[in-house]
Amino acid sequence: MKIRDIVIRSGRSLKQAKARTILTSLAIAVGAFTITLSLAAGAGGRAYTDQIVKSNTDAKELSVTKTQPKNQQGPQKYSPNLGSTALSSELGIQTVLTQDDILKISKVPNVDSVSPDYNPVIKYITRVSQDKYIASVSTFSPSVTLTYAAGSTNGDIANNEIILTEEYVGALGFKNAQDSIGKMVEIAADKLSAPVTAPETKIFLFKIKAVSSKSGLAFRSQRSLLISNTVAKTLYDYINQDTHSYNYFLGASVRVNSAENADSVKNTLTGMGYTAQTASDILGVVNTFINVLQGILLGFGALAILTSIFGIINTQYISVLERTQQIGLMKALGMRKRDVGRLFKIEAAWIGFLGGAIGSGLAYVVGTLANPLISKALDLGDIRLLIFNPISMVIVVVGLILVSVASGILPARKASKLNPIDALRTE
Amino acid sequence: MIEVKGVTKIYGKKDNEFKALSDVSFTIPDGGSVAILGKSGSGKSTLMHVMSGLDKPQIGQIIIDGKNILKLKAKEIDKFRSRKMSFIFQSFFVQGNESCYNNVSLPLEIADVSPSRRRKRVEAALRAVELYDKKKAKAKELSGGQKQRLAVARAIVNSPQILFADEPTGNLDSITGRVIENLLFNYHKKFHVTLVLVTHDPELSERCDIQIHIKDGVIDEIKRKKV
Repeated sequence: MKIRDIVIRSGRSLKQAKARTILTSLAIAVGAFTITLSLAAGAGGRAYTDQIVKSNTDAKELSVTKTQPKNQQGPQKYSPNLGSTALSSELGIQTVLTQDDILKISKVPNVDSVSPDYNPVIKYITRVSQDKYIASVSTFSPSVTLTYAAGSTNGDIANNEIILTEEYVGALGFKNAQDSIGKMVEIAADKLSAPVTAPETKIFLFKIKAVSSKSGLAFRSQRSLLISNTVAKTLYDYINQDTHSYNYFLGASVRVNSAENADSVKNTLTGMGYTAQTASDILGVVNTFINVLQGILLGFGALAILTSIFGIINTQYISVLERTQQIGLMKALGMRKRDVGRLFKIEAAWIGFLGGAIGSGLAYVVGTLANPLISKALDLGDIRLLIFNPISMVIVVVGLILVSVASGILPARKASKLNPIDALRTE
Repeated sequence: MIEVKGVTKIYGKKDNEFKALSDVSFTIPDGGSVAILGKSGSGKSTLMHVMSGLDKPQIGQIIIDGKNILKLKAKEIDKFRSRKMSFIFQSFFVQGNESCYNNVSLPLEIADVSPSRRRKRVEAALRAVELYDKKKAKAKELSGGQKQRLAVARAIVNSPQILFADEPTGNLDSITGRVIENLLFNYHKKFHVTLVLVTHDPELSERCDIQIHIKDGVIDEIKRKKV
């Protein structure tokens, strides 16, 4: 018997048991739905982080920290040498970079410049006759893509300039973002080494250069105000001078003279006891996280499919029992064992195809409808977090067809082994 | 020509042994008609199954066109059945959910006949049993007599050399039974097809050239019509 004729016959016999066919394939559809959605979410997530990292980092830039002691179990023993080279952060005690380290790193071949992460902790930001607001300040980097609500930067900003975020525009009493450009703001910082009885506070003045708008691609905190590296150091020096942690840094960013050399510099630094991460390393870390999440979702999908396998086996066994006579007749008419088996395997394939098509089709529809809602809820702007790749959808459907055929093997074998005489005796 | 030589078929094992056929031998000439008669349990159905290769006897030979079909591989027997034989059963065994057309087309699909050639032959077979107007109707909508006519169409569609009929009129009233009977014998005469009937209807058996009476798995008597 020709495969084409078998396919048509098995399709017809499924049509004759519509309710059973649809119910069985719905079980697979649940799995297909989950798998298609998790694949879409994984693809979307990776594309998203890829975009974030690309627009926030530079291939020429390495982020460097001191390599942390490994397999540290329990608290670390005190040693006078260690002393102030360890800074405690929210993440626990971390070995830090000293000025010596910065100097050593800057002497590595192909390194253009090293700038420690200053991240000065300021007291507040304000403006004449306005309320005071807390804020965090970071260093402006020309390689980070920003979208501006007003104003712009030509590559870099001057030492007395600041980039505000949209939130602060209204808070600091500006009519709109455009209105704020060129106006002055005050940033107050406390000298940490000053005695409690005689606190010292200094006001730094900044001209607003631009206002950054919210972007789904923003890497750093939305509230960070951006200032130049030089003035960040000034602020940092004022705040931290004469304290224990002065000139100890959690990390530094290293600029390499060309993107091609980034990897070799990274290797050199690793050999020297530093941990250096390139943009793609950071992407890798984030993607690992996404992959794990996707793996969990896929696991649920696989579980659903595992359950539906038993559904298919059961349905097909019943189908064989119901059609004992028909099988007997076909065999009496000279239908080959192999073809009888195929008839039932292809029936199972049809069920798998239906389930896969229903499930992934539904996932596509639901995902397409949900995409704008998700982007809105997560404030991602134009970014789509679910990306449906037609090829992976086809693979899902084909995979489910194969799984269904595999689960149809046992019932198909039963059918092909039926003795036609016994089968025809069944009344 | 069909030669049955010393066929012995035993069911069960050791203590439960049951000899369904014991050293059965006879010959049927090409285009002949044979009635196998006997009470139920006499072994007449088993004989038909053995002759068509559906069942394998422990001893003996079934020689059709000079070939011992019991020596053929499963694949070759299947091919043999799909090209050269046909069956009609007492309880029709038409597929109720399929259309008449698809019921009749099944043997041709099994025999790998191309779709374009199938169409002509299916329609001719349906016309021969006067069911052409029911082509698209589902088989379960037919009456008992119509179902058996459909089964006849299915049996003749692949132009078999040998037509096996197991109590073809057993489930029908005498008038519809007569219609089926005439269909079978007309086809047998017209196309010179060997007809093997299993029956206990004396009227039906009298129309056959050869009557083989079976009793407890042994041939009791073979009557041949004098020509």
